[in-house]
Amino acid sequence: MYRRSFKDTKSSLGSPNPNFSKPMVALRFLRALSLVRCSGPGARSPSYRARGIRRAAYACMAASAGPRRAWSRALLRKIRRRPGRGLRRPRAVIRRRRPVGGGDPLEVALRRLVPGGGCMEYCRLLEEAADYVKCLAMQVRLMQTIVDSASHVNSID
Amino acid sequence: MSSSRLKGSEVEDKGIILFLFPGQSKDKSFTVAVSEDPLPRLETSIDMNENKFVLNSHHDGGEWQFNTPAMSMVPLPLSAPSLAGGLMNQNTRSSYLSTPMVEVFSPGQWNHHPTSSPNMALGESNFASTSSINSIPVGKPVAISPRGMLVSTAPRIFPTSLPHFPVDSAFVERAARFSCFGSGNFSGINFFSSSPAMAPSNNEGIGDQVQKDELLQVDHESLNGSTMKNQGDQNSQIGNGESRVVIFPEDGLEGNTGSTDAALNSSSSDRGVNKRRKTVPDIERDPVQGGRQSSSETTKENIENKQKVEQINSKQIEKNGKDNSEFVKEGYVHVRARRGQATNSHSLAERVRREKISERMKYLQELVPGCSKVTGKAVMLDEIINYVQSLQRQVEFLSMKLAAVNPQLDFGIEGLLAKNLLRTHGSSSSATGFSPEMIYPQAYPSQHNLVHTGISAMASHSDTFRRAISTQSTASGYKESPLQVQPMHIPWNEELITQMAYGANPSNPQNMHSKADDFAI
Repeated sequence: MYRRSFKDTKSSLGSPNPNFSKPMVALRFLRALSLVRCSGPGARSPSYRARGIRRAAYACMAASAGPRRAWSRALLRKIRRRPGRGLRRPRAVIRRRRPVGGGDPLEVALRRLVPGGGCMEYCRLLEEAADYVKCLAMQVRLMQTIVDSASHVNSID
Repeated sequence: MSSSRLKGSEVEDKGIILFLFPGQSKDKSFTVAVSEDPLPRLETSIDMNENKFVLNSHHDGGEWQFNTPAMSMVPLPLSAPSLAGGLMNQNTRSSYLSTPMVEVFSPGQWNHHPTSSPNMALGESNFASTSSINSIPVGKPVAISPRGMLVSTAPRIFPTSLPHFPVDSAFVERAARFSCFGSGNFSGINFFSSSPAMAPSNNEGIGDQVQKDELLQVDHESLNGSTMKNQGDQNSQIGNGESRVVIFPEDGLEGNTGSTDAALNSSSSDRGVNKRRKTVPDIERDPVQGGRQSSSETTKENIENKQKVEQINSKQIEKNGKDNSEFVKEGYVHVRARRGQATNSHSLAERVRREKISERMKYLQELVPGCSKVTGKAVMLDEIINYVQSLQRQVEFLSMKLAAVNPQLDFGIEGLLAKNLLRTHGSSSSATGFSPEMIYPQAYPSQHNLVHTGISAMASHSDTFRRAISTQSTASGYKESPLQVQPMHIPWNEELITQMAYGANPSNPQNMHSKADDFAI
């Protein structure tokens, strides 16, 4: 029993999505970027585009992390739930977070940072935070790469 | 086994039952049973001539030899009924457990009991399956089960008079195996879960061990012909202590060789079949024997058993009972602590949770740079929070930067996209001709356009892109071989140029139009 549970925790620390790979994330993000640029009424205004790009970045990250992660689900839900578009779900369904934290401000802060972390148990929160950090770091590296290459191209041109 | 093997009910009664239970009062049923049994009993290997009582532990063939000089004094025919009487009288305490035993004691009832309890029926099947019994009429199992009890209690009863107690490695192995087969969970700790009634009886039994030691001395006294005192009490103790042994035929649904002798040549195949069941009495016997088995190498649980047994031996009665109850209770979680507050189920769960948390903290520590030197959970958590915040800020900043970059970047991005495609699918698609929709049809529906525009941009600005790609691949964490990218450009560009020359991009002309200004650069 103990051995089995240990194995479970080991496997749960890895990425749950087998299709998760860096090129796939990059591809997805680039596609989303091109879509952001091409679409929208205020596509030329930088603030709008910045918002769109950020949303695209998070969405790509969450989508490539797969639906088994709580943070990716919460993130996608948050992204899709735009104000003024469509019907919002009744609040009782969405808001199932319980009073957590127990007075530890650091834990509360971490819950606020990790998407969907409000309703998690602490142990789960750490697991999700680890995965979230991993994906976020990768996303940052990807975006940094794109910005670098773009600036490079611009400088050449 | 021995040259002078005494047969008949006499010997049986004298040897075993007297041995265990020096009784005082007659019980009608039991005397009937004994008298009804005309048949040669089991080879109980009581050598009356040699004053030697040989018990063969049935399960493993290890022999326990008890040279008791007092055994010469054995012939006390009345003691057996007294035993039964004591048992019968005390059966009211643990009625469920001890009733099959009493029935076992009375062979006549054994055979002819139509309304016998299922326990008894099971016990019968148990005895019937033993190979050595096949030639022996049914009265015989009666003899066997007392001996099983005897075996279990014997080391307690005669601890000092035994010349040697051979270490039973086979038993130890089986005990270890029981920890796997035992009750579905692999902790191997709750040995007693197979029969719910077994745990209380065990508690009683182990709690009564000291009184059995008293009984030992009393046995000696009684065997020496002295008057028997306190026997009702002792018999009751024995009844409780033995109820655990009697249980196992009841919960062993199958033929259990556990109660037969190795001296009776019980077949090992039977043992192999009934491995799981047989381990139950083994384990039960373990706390009794464990103190003796010091030299055998065992698995962890068994070592822990031994330690526990040593504790039991060193500590006294009440503590034994408490230990045993905890032993039963602790169940599913592997712990080192054996008693006290730490074995509370809540604290066990809490411990597991803490272990998990520390494990994930370690994982996070690996992920967050600069966090590995930090000690202390609060500081670590603070570092993690700072890192996540910085990452999120970075994403925001980079998205702003990306948005602020000249829209001329578009083709560059798509060039990167093409490059990524080349990286991911390059080796396979370069031979057959590039068609990303064939490779990932549903995942990338709009890929075709992007790829073509990107590659066309590459065709026009191949130098810049090569440079961009190389810088990127060195600067970033995407270290997947710029060497692979470089040689692929040329065939791709050629192919794409031919494609564009033939107008082979029908899918999205407007995309090409939208990118026209980009191409003009």
